[in-house]
Amino acid sequence: MAVGRYVSDLEVGDKLGPIEYVMTPFIVHEYAHAVELGQEYFYGAAPEGHFAPPTILHSDKLRLFALACPGGDGPHARLHYEYDATWIEPIPVDTRIRTEGSVVGRDIKKGRTFLSVEFELRSADDNRLFVKYRDSAVLAYKPGSDLSAKGERK
Amino acid sequence: MSAAPAKPRFAVGEVLRATPRCMNRERMRWYVDALFTAKENDGKQHIGERNIHTDDEYARSQGLPGIISDGMISTNWIYNLLLDTFGADFLRAGSLRTKYVMPITENRLVSAGFRVLETKPSGDRTRYGLEVWCEDDSGTILTVGAASVVARH
Repeated sequence: MAVGRYVSDLEVGDKLGPIEYVMTPFIVHEYAHAVELGQEYFYGAAPEGHFAPPTILHSDKLRLFALACPGGDGPHARLHYEYDATWIEPIPVDTRIRTEGSVVGRDIKKGRTFLSVEFELRSADDNRLFVKYRDSAVLAYKPGSDLSAKGERK
Repeated sequence: MSAAPAKPRFAVGEVLRATPRCMNRERMRWYVDALFTAKENDGKQHIGERNIHTDDEYARSQGLPGIISDGMISTNWIYNLLLDTFGADFLRAGSLRTKYVMPITENRLVSAGFRVLETKPSGDRTRYGLEVWCEDDSGTILTVGAASVVARH
């Protein structure tokens, strides 16, 4: 269900997802370890339970973009600009996740194009809301870059 | 005689900072690889694709001075400080917003910090409004943002 060849083609209103996957212990351990989150909540020995950090939903953006835009970023590298997450409850490992959202903004500031998306991460089994997320990215770092998708990334 | 209400653990204006970490290229690559490992989700570790966080030549072609860190590393370092400070209360529910106002280049020393902007005690808990940031060792602000948590006294 591609809505554009490249991420740089996305426009306000474009739907992203839904996608479904299992939040496996393996990806939680790998992600938490990579960002040096040492708390045992993310590795399985905490009395509170075994959970994923809300920052791991950054990988959902990649999943959503890969589904919507099979050509990739477009002619320029995308730079993450803003992360904005509200988590209502922690995400237990082994939960089947469903994530979907949409493009909510495409704005030019100081010669750079910003793309904003919003999505929600829920339990695919009972629709419980875990995280609400908004994200903004710059589609090209060089001001005034031509964002038309003329070809694959160099 | 009723007991005096408990006070919030932190007062408005209080500042906490984490120990600085060096944003070296290995940390940048760990993030890229972990992100792609999470995305692929097949039980195997993956090497992330060549990008502005792993490839100097490609980063320079995009107008950058060299590789820069993924902003989510600084977000995670702020999250880590808040989780260490507020524990399971911040695990259970909360919010975190970060903006990457300056690219973080290789080998910069980066420290996460927060300042208490407001406290709203209610019962045995306090809602905190926090300003958060990452800065380098010269005090240059690299990442800005805000967070909220309801924590027990």
